[in-house]
Amino acid sequence: MAITEERPEILELESGDTSASTGAFARPTHASGWRAWVFTVDHKKIGIMYGAVAMFWFLWGGIEALLIRAQLFTPNGTVLTAEQYNQIFTMHGTTMVFLVVMPLAAAFANYIVPLQIGARDVAFPRMNALGLWIFVFGGIFLNLSWFLGGGPDGGWFAYAPNTGVTYSPGAGMDFYALGLQIAGIASLVGAINLIVTIVNMRAPGMTMLRMPVFTWMILVVQFLLLFALPVITVALILLSFDRTFDANFFNVAMGADPLLWQHLFWIFGHPEVYILILPSFGIVSETLPVFSRKPLFGYSVIVISGAAIGFMGWGVWAHHMFVSGLGPVGVAAFSATTMFIAVPTGVKILNWIATMWGGNLKFTVPMMFSISLVAMFTIGGLSGVMHSVAPADTQQTDTYFIVAHFHYVLFGGALMGLFAGMYYWWPKAFGYKLGESLGKWHFWLLLLGFNMTFGPMHIVGLQGMARRHSRYGPEDGFDFWNAVVSIGAFVILIGMIIFAVNIVRSWLGYKAGTVPQEPADPWDGRTLEWAIPSPTPEHNFDYVPVVTDVDDFWHKKYQPDENGKLRKIADGNEIAQKGDQHPHLPSPSYWPIVLAAALPLIALGLIYNLWLAGIGLVLMLGAMYGWSLEPATDPDAGHGDHGEDHPTAGDDPEAGGNALVDASGEEAPSV
Amino acid sequence: MNISFRKPFEVPIRSMKRSQKVFKRIARLAPFCLIIAVLVSCASGRIDPTDPVGENAKQIDGIMRLSGYMATAVGVFVAAAVIYVIVKFRARPDDDPDELPVQVHGNRKAELTWTVIPVLMLVFLAIVTIPAVFDLSGKSDGRTIKVEGQQWWWQFSYDVDEDGEYDIVTANEIVIPVNEEINLDIRSNDVIHSFWIPQLNGKRDAVPGRVHSWRISSPVPGIFYGECTEFCGLSHANMQMRAVVLSDSDYATWVDEQLAPSDVPLSEAAKRGYDLFGRHCVSCHVVNGVYESAADGNANLASGYAPNLTHLMTRTSFAGALYELYKDDGSVNVADLREWVRNAPGQKPARPENRQGMISFAETLSATELDDLVTYLLTLGGRPPLMPS
Repeated sequence: MAITEERPEILELESGDTSASTGAFARPTHASGWRAWVFTVDHKKIGIMYGAVAMFWFLWGGIEALLIRAQLFTPNGTVLTAEQYNQIFTMHGTTMVFLVVMPLAAAFANYIVPLQIGARDVAFPRMNALGLWIFVFGGIFLNLSWFLGGGPDGGWFAYAPNTGVTYSPGAGMDFYALGLQIAGIASLVGAINLIVTIVNMRAPGMTMLRMPVFTWMILVVQFLLLFALPVITVALILLSFDRTFDANFFNVAMGADPLLWQHLFWIFGHPEVYILILPSFGIVSETLPVFSRKPLFGYSVIVISGAAIGFMGWGVWAHHMFVSGLGPVGVAAFSATTMFIAVPTGVKILNWIATMWGGNLKFTVPMMFSISLVAMFTIGGLSGVMHSVAPADTQQTDTYFIVAHFHYVLFGGALMGLFAGMYYWWPKAFGYKLGESLGKWHFWLLLLGFNMTFGPMHIVGLQGMARRHSRYGPEDGFDFWNAVVSIGAFVILIGMIIFAVNIVRSWLGYKAGTVPQEPADPWDGRTLEWAIPSPTPEHNFDYVPVVTDVDDFWHKKYQPDENGKLRKIADGNEIAQKGDQHPHLPSPSYWPIVLAAALPLIALGLIYNLWLAGIGLVLMLGAMYGWSLEPATDPDAGHGDHGEDHPTAGDDPEAGGNALVDASGEEAPSV
Repeated sequence: MNISFRKPFEVPIRSMKRSQKVFKRIARLAPFCLIIAVLVSCASGRIDPTDPVGENAKQIDGIMRLSGYMATAVGVFVAAAVIYVIVKFRARPDDDPDELPVQVHGNRKAELTWTVIPVLMLVFLAIVTIPAVFDLSGKSDGRTIKVEGQQWWWQFSYDVDEDGEYDIVTANEIVIPVNEEINLDIRSNDVIHSFWIPQLNGKRDAVPGRVHSWRISSPVPGIFYGECTEFCGLSHANMQMRAVVLSDSDYATWVDEQLAPSDVPLSEAAKRGYDLFGRHCVSCHVVNGVYESAADGNANLASGYAPNLTHLMTRTSFAGALYELYKDDGSVNVADLREWVRNAPGQKPARPENRQGMISFAETLSATELDDLVTYLLTLGGRPPLMPS
């Protein structure tokens, strides 16, 4: 296939004619106010909104957790009814997985990945906005169930046939099935977008093995999403068909095998575990070297082990089913694969410790959270190896030992890493750091509360306390540790309140001028996002940087002298780009949010009234029509790729001394 | 620029003292750790996987401890490394900001070492695990008992004469002879449940449409407690079970007793209760010999079955083993039993309007009718062969 460099003539003509816009509506132009956010296609605003919405759901899921702990504070708790308890633990898990950890990772992926690869936005900015708004409406839809007859009550794992209409007659499970379907579209859209972005839009010279580890882990995660989401999509469609149209996919009387659901769910569900944890592995692979003042120990090993986890993650799903009746051959096989997935994970842990070994460790708040990930995730990983011993798992599964295990992985691992990321990249996103002392209070209370909450669960789990029980008896001997656990949960709450206070105080202080404006490179960073001003200018990069090394920005600052001794040759803040150029950027769009809003209407229609679904469908098609036909660009903006507003090194007299600028003026990233 | 010749690995003597202090502090914490260990070992409830009795449970316990010790050893090693790194390599105020630590990018030998060592440990663990998986599956030569889970209780059926027909059908308490590897055929009549009596063996799911084999045994007589461990809906927390292990002679006596059908009671009150039972209870419950219309299932329940009550009073518990049938002094727990008959969904969450669980008779039966019905129930069977201690 020949790729022509010349543009078709017709386009040339049209772009010259500013009055001829092909769409039915002009594109929005708001530069400030709420509309600048709602219609934005800027990956940074989208990332911040992902984060803000996810933190709202974190609060919501946290309240659900506290209700659970209030109920289990004493034997025979009466805070919740069994029905409420079942709904709340179902939604706690669903919320934390789909509405908190995944979108928080998406927040960082959206904000940071384009900056780390030297791009001005993601490949498909409108699709990016679409993903955000679908996630927002999916979360709202899922939680509408609380106001329309009660939440889903079948567990986040939703084992058939307990989730069929016979056993779960309320609409809760419909909201679950359709809500996750909607949230899944958001992740799928995001995955495609980020894969294309990372593969195609890296700065010149940034080969795959010069890519920052965070970006690498995000790439692995997007491939996991791309292949895992279709599996749960199929499972959820079967469930919805069973519930809505009386299909027989999980109807045992008609010959169905309920294990079908379990296989489908966990073929999605186990890669999902790595979808949740790998972004945090990426984050600490960025922070540990920066605050140890050493390069990542074994960059390629960490990258390859991350990719290996991505592959091996597909071969372990049935360890969730050791007591489901797989037979000894299946159990033995999945037992062995599960043991060996511990190897690449363990290698990462030891490489991180080796990164710190011999370093010059600065205990900033992001560093403290990062180290706690290394320590706490290790505990979760090791208890995971204990479950891989299938006979032992027949005693441990569905007890609090498992609850302890995956909270050490997801809270001690994923969330600790995400908090590290928040403190680390906050100055890049907002121009100021979060307060150090309140941050340390946040960290220590969270670490203490976390271990108080989930540490004793190992003990009561081994003593036989089953999960998902709305009560336990005084004769069971679980009282003491459950009281400790519940108190721990409230310590976490206090830690999180301090985090909220820290955000508000730092923001007010920044407004008032008492919290300083941070320069481009406040942490002596290693990657490209620190080579541009804080907060990030709208266009990210004045010039597309040319990359020659892993940790390219660091190598611009430190070079060996004639004796081979490393010397600081430049200050990061001085060599950073100035952010004073105004290249052309994609225009905002009305249509992503409109298209996204149609999906919950369709879903509500499937539950209540097909006419409503019809209205939603019309809205969706209308939005697609508007999307396709809106003007291709903002006619007033100069076209960057025509050269006039898009300076390269050759155009800019000042750029000669700027090591970040591609001297040849080449624009296209070489893949 | 201030050039320092100190190697990055060297630590000033002053901070050595500080790190010694840290270790002293850790040493002071040791008694506290001991207290926790004692608390852990003392605390034990009725359901206790840490005190295995059955052969299978003991085998699992051994392998679980092995994996636990290995995990702990690795965990302590990693924690020690992290603490060492934090203490030894932390930045100090007098560090020269221009002095970089040695820039190590990796070390093939080290990385190979910490890849190979875990692999060897896991190979060892797999070699121990995989034969155990096969050991614990498969059937024994012992007798077979059918186990059926349904919302929210367990049914156990015995084919005593091995003619393919079940002769004894009981609920919530599986009675087995001592020192025999009993085969269980585990099924479900509605959603997925999980059969678990941890002191005898691990768990095994009861999946509708499937028959799962599992084995339990005990070398000593006694009562062992268990519960459903696969989320099965509203009253999942209240679906308990017991294994009653009897000496061979006690077991033979129990079997003979269970085989006897029930009869119309003699006393007046019990006779009235018997009639009430015939009017209100028989569409779901079976009493062998007198009320058998629900024996092959009924449409009032999604699962099709309610507990067979023929020898109710030979059990130690009722309502999904949630309540004791006898008080500590050996007398019958009439109050709870009466309240259960009067308003079951008030005692244990259920959804009778959706054919899940027993309906309430609070509006249907008068106080005297309830008394009569309970009087009849008390005539069903003798005494349990073993009482909970």
